[in-house]
Amino acid sequence: MQIRLRPGITLRQGTFSAVIAPERVILAALNNNPELERFLFLFVCGNYSRLISHIGRSASSFEVRRPFTADQFLSVIREAGHTIIFIEHDPSLFETAERLLEPAGSALKEAGHEALVVLYAPAMDRPFAALARQADRVIEIVNPGEPDPRQRMAAGRSGRRGDGRPQAQTMLEV
Amino acid sequence: MWILDTAYRDGVDLWCRDRNGSVTRKHVAYDPPFYLHLPDPAAHHEMLDVLEAEFGAAPCTFRTLFSELEGFSVHGSRQLAEQVEQQTRFDARLFNVDVRRDQQFMAEQGIFPCGDDYGSRFTPDLSFDLRQVEIRIPDDPARTPLCTEAEVTGDRTERLHGPGDTVVADLFGLVESIDPDVILMSHADAWLPQFRAFAHKNGLEMPFSRNGKYRQMSSRSYWSYGRMEHKEAALIPDGRVLIDTDQSFVYREGGLFGVLMASRLSGLSPNLAARFTPGTLISSYEVYEAVKRGIVVPFRKADAETVRKLTDLRAADRGGMMFQPEPGIFENVDEIDFTSMYPSIIVKYNLSPETLDNLGCEGFLPAVLAPVVSLRKETKRRKHNEARYAGIDTLLKWMLVTCFGYTGYKNAKFGRIEVHEAITARSREILIQTKDLAESMGFTVLHGIVDCLWVQGSPVEELQQRIGEVTGLWAECEHFDWIVFLPLNDGFGAYNRYYGRLFDGSMKVRGIAARRHDTPDYIRTMQQEMFEIMQEERTAAGLATVRDRVRGIYVTALQELPHADPRSLAISRRISRTRYTHRCLEGAAVQAYRDCGVEVAPGMKISYVIRDARRYQVDPEWSAETFDIPYYRSLMEKAWNDIAYAFGGGGRQPEWVVQRELVAPDPASSPARVPQG
Repeated sequence: MQIRLRPGITLRQGTFSAVIAPERVILAALNNNPELERFLFLFVCGNYSRLISHIGRSASSFEVRRPFTADQFLSVIREAGHTIIFIEHDPSLFETAERLLEPAGSALKEAGHEALVVLYAPAMDRPFAALARQADRVIEIVNPGEPDPRQRMAAGRSGRRGDGRPQAQTMLEV
Repeated sequence: MWILDTAYRDGVDLWCRDRNGSVTRKHVAYDPPFYLHLPDPAAHHEMLDVLEAEFGAAPCTFRTLFSELEGFSVHGSRQLAEQVEQQTRFDARLFNVDVRRDQQFMAEQGIFPCGDDYGSRFTPDLSFDLRQVEIRIPDDPARTPLCTEAEVTGDRTERLHGPGDTVVADLFGLVESIDPDVILMSHADAWLPQFRAFAHKNGLEMPFSRNGKYRQMSSRSYWSYGRMEHKEAALIPDGRVLIDTDQSFVYREGGLFGVLMASRLSGLSPNLAARFTPGTLISSYEVYEAVKRGIVVPFRKADAETVRKLTDLRAADRGGMMFQPEPGIFENVDEIDFTSMYPSIIVKYNLSPETLDNLGCEGFLPAVLAPVVSLRKETKRRKHNEARYAGIDTLLKWMLVTCFGYTGYKNAKFGRIEVHEAITARSREILIQTKDLAESMGFTVLHGIVDCLWVQGSPVEELQQRIGEVTGLWAECEHFDWIVFLPLNDGFGAYNRYYGRLFDGSMKVRGIAARRHDTPDYIRTMQQEMFEIMQEERTAAGLATVRDRVRGIYVTALQELPHADPRSLAISRRISRTRYTHRCLEGAAVQAYRDCGVEVAPGMKISYVIRDARRYQVDPEWSAETFDIPYYRSLMEKAWNDIAYAFGGGGRQPEWVVQRELVAPDPASSPARVPQG
């Protein structure tokens, strides 16, 4: 069993992967893969999920659980017995519970021994980085047409834009 | 024994007031354990050995909200509990770690503050004869280290005026000689640290505490109901009730009676009850009740929502029901309002975290909320004849409103999101049921919001009775002679913006300038004056006869605007942050405060006057000398448009002419300078 994110990028059972990608990429991977309906799927998200209303899955094997605190998050991951565990990252869970970042990362890693565990966020933040530290793979998919976020950061430091143009330039020079 | 204040210092201090009015401290040794449950105790035997040897850990059975658990009682601090968590890799479940010990003691003993005997806890009467003093200080503590004026009102009124050190020393002397039980003081929490620094520097004893001791409460900013709030740090005196009359939400809404009732129900000292939000009060009340019933209180909120199908979640995760109104003016309308609808649903349908999976058992939440709901019904009934119950009624209203939201709050000790959803599901059914019932009896339903319906028809008493019979919930009726439902920009009716004349001649106003907290006084006063004229008329047709008088108020206010006191144009807002990525007036106001040396924190309220809106120039209220006339005219125009709608039969356009006539010839397109003095 596997989830194909992009050609050449496939997530497999028995791994814990941290994925940063545009929402439409991840939604396409979840919605356009009928094979996933055959497996017990747990979707974990917080109170303000950006994905859940766009997921077109009504199969009985697709289940949802929403932790609202870091302690609940830990319980949810420890109790999950699903084949696929997909977590939509909610940084607010760890705002006042940084003490749980390390055990939560370990719980994800442990769950990834049996299941396919995906920790997803549209952008990197500090709690995500801490959780992803124990991931087998960290995958970052850049939206086609947009500069790589790392390039953008580097460009910011060097005074140039990510696409090579100087910061102040807004029109093509001829 | 009438308990005036409580504290925990190596035991419980109870400050008791006897019948003669003397207050004495009783100290009781008390060191309750916390409880620990381990799924696999054998895996932690070394830790358990240490806990047994050093902290008196002993095997025991204790009762949670859901079941009995085997575990250990441990006499240790919160730090020890956190170490246990770490060492067990967060496998341990801990209970009664963060319960306030004075509250826990009282709950176990069946005693409570601000009441005589146990039977009095849920009665609306507060028998007391406390010595009160009110201290009014007009100075701003953020800008003045010591106050230079103070008015002290006890049995008589004393006015102090002079250099700061003299005024404060005299104030200390007055407080000491009066020896009050309750001090109501403006900006008390901001002044006290400054007074203490002064006392320390000059070798004086600050007399607000009865034994010289103060408890420290740190400042914090937090989100509450979608907005950022700020709580000042506070020094809480022992043996006396000190209420910050400017900062205390409970005092502002419920007065001293409200604070004392909050203390009685929650089992917290009135000093804390005055400083906590209604959400914290209801949660403290639940904690008190849990301890009293022998139920342990979880330290962490670890029990998560159950696993659900996506379709089930989508069906359940909805809010309250709304019926969008047709905008316009309507005559003879009745507002049917369910009293404490959500708490009543909790009680009637036995909704509690533990009953969702076990329908037969008596739920904790219904059991503890039932007496509060009954008490609210009683205070709501009594307040119509006796004003002294109004404060208690308001306090109970807030506590009961928040008790519903609290069921879905992530850190609620006795909450669960499924309970929250079940409550809103029932409320939707009830509102639809009520609408159908009203329509079947020939009524026209104009509008509906969650627990309220606006209907036209008669006899409304019969409808009210039938609603009670069908839903099992109590609904109250208010009759409007006329009511205006305002439109949204798209022309549809707004849910929460309306005003109307009640049967007794008063106005009920929601969602418009006169009701909003950030409306400048100048504009609020203008709208209120308009309402004073409109409320003379009992019919919509009669309103047309006062149209010119009401418009005259608007025209006069516009003409007098350039001469207005800049402070009357101050906009007061609670800031949600202190850093702004885009230029905005609020960000400019924060900067203006900083420029004046006043530090601001998220959740604090700031008050500012717009000097030039286009250039984002604003001044703190106290230093404003000029203001942006076109900007304030636009605010006045919005306020007028809401009123003009009642006269225009739905059309707004004709009324705008008033504004154009006045603005067009005015050369002052730039901010006006208002002469000082």
